[in-house]
Amino acid sequence: MGGGFSGLALTSLLSGSGFFTSKASAQGKTLAPRPGHFKTRAKSCIFLMMNGGPSQVDTFDYKPELRRHAGKSLPRDKKYINSGGRRVGFLTPNWRPFRPGGKSGILVSDFFPNIRKHADKLAVIRSCHADSHAHGSALVQMNTGMPLIGRPSLGSWVAYGLGSENDSLPAYVVMLDKRGGPISGMPNWSSGFMPATYQGTLFRPSGSPILDLSGPGQFRGQAQRNQLEFLDKLNRRHLLVREKTGELAARIQNYELAYRMQAEAPEAVDLSAESGQTLEAYGVGKSPTDEFGKNCLVARRLVERGVRFIQLYSGGGHLEETWDAHESIEKNHGRHGLEVDQPIAALLDDLDQRGLLDETLVVWGGEFGRMPFSEGKDAPGRNHNPYGFSMWMAGAGVKGGTVHGETDELGFEAVVDRVHVHDIHATILHLMGIDHELLTYFHQGRQESLTDVHGKVIHEIMA
Amino acid sequence: MRGIIQIFGIFVIAIQCLAGADRAGLNWWSLREITRPLVPETGKVAKGSPIDAFIRSTLKEHGINPAPPAESTHLIRRVYFDLTGIPPAYKEVQDFVNSSNDNAYPELVERLLSSPRFGERWARHWLDVVRYAETNGYERDAVKPHIWKYRDWVVHAFNSDMPYHRFVTEQLAGDEIEGRNESSVIATGMLRAGTWNDEPNDAQEYKYERLEDMVDVVTTAFLGMTVRCARCHDHKFDPIPQRDYYRIAAAFWSGPIEPGSARQMGGPDAGQLGYKEVFGWTDIHREPPPIHLLINGDPNKKSDIVPPGHLSLVPHLDLPLVVPPDESKTSRRRLQLAGFITSPRNPLTPRVMVNRIWQHLMGRGIVATPNNFGYKSASPSHPELLDWMAHEFVRDGWSIKSVIRKIVLSETYRQSSLHPDADKYQKADPENHLLWRHNRRRMDAEALRDALLYASGELDLKMGGESFYPELAPEVLEGFSRKSSAWSPSPPGDQLRRSIYMISKRHLLVPLMKAFDFPSSEKPCGKRDSTTVVSQSLAMLNNRFVHSRSRRLAEVAMKVSRSTEDAIAFAWKKILMRDPDAGEMDLALAHYHQQVAHFEGRAKPGEVLPAKQAAVSAVPGEGLCLWLSADAGVSLDASGKLLRWKDQSENALVVTQDLPSSRPVFLDRAIAGKPAIRFSGKKDFLGINGQVLKDQDFTILAVASDRSSSRGHREIISNWSGSDGNAGTSVFLGLTGKARVRFSDNFSSASNALILPNKPFLLSASTGTSGSDIFYNGQVLAARGSSLTARNMVTPWVIGQQGNINGEYWQGDIAELLVYSRQLKQQELEALGKHLAGKYNIPLAGFHRAVPVQNPALLGLASVCHVLLNSNEFLYID
Repeated sequence: MGGGFSGLALTSLLSGSGFFTSKASAQGKTLAPRPGHFKTRAKSCIFLMMNGGPSQVDTFDYKPELRRHAGKSLPRDKKYINSGGRRVGFLTPNWRPFRPGGKSGILVSDFFPNIRKHADKLAVIRSCHADSHAHGSALVQMNTGMPLIGRPSLGSWVAYGLGSENDSLPAYVVMLDKRGGPISGMPNWSSGFMPATYQGTLFRPSGSPILDLSGPGQFRGQAQRNQLEFLDKLNRRHLLVREKTGELAARIQNYELAYRMQAEAPEAVDLSAESGQTLEAYGVGKSPTDEFGKNCLVARRLVERGVRFIQLYSGGGHLEETWDAHESIEKNHGRHGLEVDQPIAALLDDLDQRGLLDETLVVWGGEFGRMPFSEGKDAPGRNHNPYGFSMWMAGAGVKGGTVHGETDELGFEAVVDRVHVHDIHATILHLMGIDHELLTYFHQGRQESLTDVHGKVIHEIMA
Repeated sequence: MRGIIQIFGIFVIAIQCLAGADRAGLNWWSLREITRPLVPETGKVAKGSPIDAFIRSTLKEHGINPAPPAESTHLIRRVYFDLTGIPPAYKEVQDFVNSSNDNAYPELVERLLSSPRFGERWARHWLDVVRYAETNGYERDAVKPHIWKYRDWVVHAFNSDMPYHRFVTEQLAGDEIEGRNESSVIATGMLRAGTWNDEPNDAQEYKYERLEDMVDVVTTAFLGMTVRCARCHDHKFDPIPQRDYYRIAAAFWSGPIEPGSARQMGGPDAGQLGYKEVFGWTDIHREPPPIHLLINGDPNKKSDIVPPGHLSLVPHLDLPLVVPPDESKTSRRRLQLAGFITSPRNPLTPRVMVNRIWQHLMGRGIVATPNNFGYKSASPSHPELLDWMAHEFVRDGWSIKSVIRKIVLSETYRQSSLHPDADKYQKADPENHLLWRHNRRRMDAEALRDALLYASGELDLKMGGESFYPELAPEVLEGFSRKSSAWSPSPPGDQLRRSIYMISKRHLLVPLMKAFDFPSSEKPCGKRDSTTVVSQSLAMLNNRFVHSRSRRLAEVAMKVSRSTEDAIAFAWKKILMRDPDAGEMDLALAHYHQQVAHFEGRAKPGEVLPAKQAAVSAVPGEGLCLWLSADAGVSLDASGKLLRWKDQSENALVVTQDLPSSRPVFLDRAIAGKPAIRFSGKKDFLGINGQVLKDQDFTILAVASDRSSSRGHREIISNWSGSDGNAGTSVFLGLTGKARVRFSDNFSSASNALILPNKPFLLSASTGTSGSDIFYNGQVLAARGSSLTARNMVTPWVIGQQGNINGEYWQGDIAELLVYSRQLKQQELEALGKHLAGKYNIPLAGFHRAVPVQNPALLGLASVCHVLLNSNEFLYID
């Protein structure tokens, strides 16, 4: 690997700004809130991860040429890896019609009729590309920048860079689809070589949202309060002959924080205070929007409570349980589209109405896109395609109603204003107030960063 | 992907020119040959070892006095944890403290060094360094078959004090050495213990990632050099030209590096390796194809051929490689690389290893960056001491135990972590670089888990063999893309083994371990983080593993003690290895009585139970989360079928059936003249609109009758949902066969003829930390001391069939159904049983529990134990 960008002058620049000083970490305050490199409105980010890889030509990247060339093969000069050695079929046009949305008239397909109403809030990037055609590595790349496991994920970098505004909740939260976790598992939300403090915390959208939030029935409430009082007395005796500051004291304090978290974390997912109207808007309590609707609503509540980075997975496990539409675009995207379209639209609306969209960056996308051709004659599915796909961003600092970049006339690969995963990451960090080249973590003799030696901020989509 | 790097390289070089010589040359301190430094004269402390002389002369220069010797109780605990990873027994501490033998400490050290526990402790340190885990990661995260044999090899190597040069050679080239055997070939598993992608984007490119992984682990672990940085360009800071990266990489180029069958997981087959059931590495070429330097490390930009070689940063050892003899099947490149690394004249190898040892014993390396001795390393706090130890290490035949012995016998190691002048010195040297006192350390993840099991007397010291899978909370398994097949817990007995024998799976690190900084294993880890974060407190307070240990210890304490004081003192000895003082005993007793009173339902110790509560209301309200009774709150449809059944608990859940054809019938007089709901056994069931249970402690009671003619499964209540992943972890209560009660898949009664067809009965089943039991009319059908394995409760709940499978329908009546989110107290269960039996005219036995549930005294004691396990005194080693 290369690089080592900021190894020299920039370290001092960071330490000069009081950025992650060793003093802070020594006192167990690694998540204390801290300013970024420049002022920004974004306080939180919600990353809507469409696990499995939605098809760009069926969602946000309309390609009329596909109709003209339907049934033909992809031209020979277009080189690609045929992921999984699947059957290679013929160019196939979009399965559902596209229609313009909002004043901007951005074309969005009928898989997302509700999101389309918010077209003027979206900056659609149609020229994304990634480095791997396999879910396992591609997911890890979308989350960590590299298709190799072991690096800190985007959320970890944000938590490391900005800390948390809420002591009682994790800074970086991941909500999985009930059908299962993403392929490659934990490395998708790992903090890699950074301390575990920065790793994503799996969050369940109801009841007891995080692990070990409550013990066995008898040891709750007053019984636990009694325990904490006894523990505090023992710890203070232990501390008598020892230094009064530092780790021992921090741990004593953490028990109080833990006690508070037990009450506040469940409160964050308790939707009983939400109005019927809100619940209905998100599709809570109704099939098939209930699950993702709840997750989106909880995401908004977490944003309100100062959680820095929230990732929601749509699709879990394998194949058709995710957006991995090998069998049929119509069936697969129809199913998953219905699950997320209304909740996502409600989230954008709700954030907007509460004045939170200004300070919340919303990102939508999968680990890659799909091929413009089928998996056989008249076969209704499409194979993986990392060469060109669409993502969109909305909210804090994003210029709504924008389209950036283009794929070729067949929607096969990004050709104009190409945007690599590193560029996506650089842009997300930028919108969060972080310079992706300055945010480094010293590891094994090297200043590591999310984007390594790559990454170009997409200024064109910024307000 | 690497396009920008070149431009970047130029940029950095430009910076370097401006900044001057911001890089290491061949005269960099760690590359200089090791010469034996003179031991400083220390005058007064002549008694101390040379190590002390080095440390104290530096302290003296700074005008700092070392700390006094540690108290014996602290010292023995420290050396036990450092050498074996488990605590001493109370009696050993007493004997040691009271010993009049001057040699008590050296003898203790010898005993610990020869304990089999020693290898288990130190092997774990090494496994971090070689990025060991037992699965491949990526798409399938498959288990590497037999890789655990490598773990056992490392344990054995430390236990037998395998000389370090041999230790290095076997791991790097155990297949190539003279007298190779199965064990030495197992050692090469180190090269394959890292990640392996079964579905890389481009298999041809991926082989260069594998090379980088192997170059990285070997040069990091043995040499403390970041050679991998030179894959794309000359090293920015260290004298490692890009060519050297490829010269080293050539050593692995002779192996099965080309893409092959996924079944082989990138390794040789048994034939090539020479052994079956070994996960090792060997060459498959005697003369492999040439390796090219890659411009910018890009596999698509091949430059010149690079002949195999070593690192030019040790010029006097950088000799040309010899061609292997004709009879050799392998290229012998790794063997020669091992020779380079283990040459007594290699300046890095011994320095790096003695520094690792020092770090594990002192809490911080002389070089604080144990995996990096290059320009970007932390500068050594005691360079001469490092060299003296490195020199001794080689002179003593590379004996690791000998280095450890020297360090732990030193006065520096034995000094207290408390210093009378700490306030003053802390300002001058806050991080204790100069070692004016010992560094207090928090237990690492393995030591903590082992100590918890040790305290409860459950730690199983069986050595070696396949790893065990601990039980995980169902919500943890949610993270798996393949939920049901990803994890199945080992038998409970196996789960009590030492943590080094716990499976390490790259897709999911065990949360309790991860919370205490168990490292990610994708890259070599030379030094773990030691964080202090809230999730640790949550885990210690609430995790069931910790509670189970507290409870177990309380049970033992109760059994062996005649009084509460005795039992508390017993717990103190087991957890903290000492007696409580009078003040602590008072605090503990006060807590105990407070908790017992709480568990008995009294507000304060000594308070007399109010008469009303003593009688216990027939249907206790606390924890009641579903209460259906056919004589209260049923709504019927036009044809007299049940439309809606009112939940009388506070949850007020809605119990309904929308489909008319699936509605059960309401019978006005079914059981003892009382109404009941009759399920036909053909598709009748009721849905519940919310989550009935959330906690793992619960009780279910049902008044019902079984009218089934079939002998298949039939359920009263269930939340089974295979598609949501709780096929094996759902909650249900039902019958199967003639009269067997199933209380989830995890627990059922023996088949017997107790349950009479058509006769109404009262079934009650409960589970929790105090055990699990099933009663039929108050008679115990089954009981065990452990709770059900963790259940997944978030899936939809139904009455009258098995979850969402549209099958296993109940055929018979249900008159009343109560669900509690806790285990009822004995009194409560008896009273409620009596109430229901009276109401439905059911003959009742006495609810004699095999294990007394919710014994307030036991819980009170468990509470004391649990607090002690959370205390700083337990978590930290002074």
